[in-house]
Amino acid sequence: MDLRERRIAGRWLLTIVLTCVIVHQVDAQDSADSGNNAGHAPVIQGGAGYVHNVSGGAPTLEPQIDPVLLIAFGRHFLLESRTDFTGFFQRQDQTSGPFTGKVFKTVEYAQIDWLANTHATVVGGRYLLPFGLYNERLEPIWIRNLQDSPLTASVGTRTTGAGDGLMVRGVALQRPAISAQYSVYGSAHSGINQFDSARTAGMDASVFLPGKRLEVGSSWQRFLENRHITSGAFYLSWQPPSTGLDVKAEQDISYFGHGYWIEAAYRESRMSLPQFARSLQPVVRMQQFFPSNGGGNGLPRVRTERFDFGVNYYLRDNLRLLSSYGRSFESQRNLNIWNLGLTYRFTIPLWFGGKE
Amino acid sequence: MNIALIAASLILTSAAVGGGLPRQAVGAAQRAARPASSARTGEQVFATNCARCHQPPMSLSPRITGTVMMHMRVRARLSGEDERLLLKYLAP
Repeated sequence: MDLRERRIAGRWLLTIVLTCVIVHQVDAQDSADSGNNAGHAPVIQGGAGYVHNVSGGAPTLEPQIDPVLLIAFGRHFLLESRTDFTGFFQRQDQTSGPFTGKVFKTVEYAQIDWLANTHATVVGGRYLLPFGLYNERLEPIWIRNLQDSPLTASVGTRTTGAGDGLMVRGVALQRPAISAQYSVYGSAHSGINQFDSARTAGMDASVFLPGKRLEVGSSWQRFLENRHITSGAFYLSWQPPSTGLDVKAEQDISYFGHGYWIEAAYRESRMSLPQFARSLQPVVRMQQFFPSNGGGNGLPRVRTERFDFGVNYYLRDNLRLLSSYGRSFESQRNLNIWNLGLTYRFTIPLWFGGKE
Repeated sequence: MNIALIAASLILTSAAVGGGLPRQAVGAAQRAARPASSARTGEQVFATNCARCHQPPMSLSPRITGTVMMHMRVRARLSGEDERLLLKYLAP
């Protein structure tokens, strides 16, 4: 680290310390009338993991850590940012030779949230594009049940999965038996390093039935770069009450093709069963993709069908072992895909203030 | 491979730090697994909303509960009322 880098690091450290002091003071002032014992100390949370992937006989080692920084300014403003550090190490000639590779660093989002009222939050900065179920909600390594993304994950999330601009989101309607959520956003084109984004506009809306634990929703996006493209998605998330079943499904449509995925996971929670049985989580996923206009842009160029089966084992609620086998059927070749690894979710308070 | 070693060290360090958090909300997930009543409570909001995306956490330090709930309110598009009920449930 040279002198200039040390100065920059020092300034960042000073900024973080000063921010923590300010946040602590605001938290102390606000805490008297909150009616609960919750503190608002700054936090670093997120996921980390290691996955050993073998795809078509070629192994890849993928260590990953995704820290999320959360700093609350009072009760209405939140700064949040997630940076992804993922290493990709492959053998020199795919199946033999020493492992070589590099670590990729990506600022996935860096946004300021203004929790304006009970129905609306205004988001400014770099945010995850709210398209379908996957990009915004299921992508973190500690959340996803299967480590490989769905074939259609790049529909509605070009070019980087994030947008630079403004978004308004929240709850349009809330009743005991039903609630309706929405997100509306506009993103500008940006070529700034780590803040790349495309000019897009879009929205997402969903209806949730708490009694049935069923959510259905739809996303729409207009991609406004060189070629204007409309993409759409319909999705479903269902956790039947009194069972450990979790079903998710999504249909995606774009200029470059259409496809769907459906995933089911099961984790038993009955306390009468042994701990081992309650820690297991079998997962299955089926998906198909049908390219059009040549496909590509992150999507398969040929018709592809894929089936995945996995078993996760929770050592603790935040630490799990994972394993999965997938078979991909393409018009040119078929592939076996294996994943073995572990994931960990961490939460680290950055300040020892707030309420205990 | 040094990077892999660094990543592994970070994971283990995080595990050590995270494991030491106060566990005043221990059992929240088990309590939330009970059938929900018709009245909206923090327990019901916790049970119905967290599992839409991920396994509910078993513990959360009260010191950071407010910050984490602000994050989840934005991410899960919860209402202000949901946030208040959750805070009362997780950090009474």
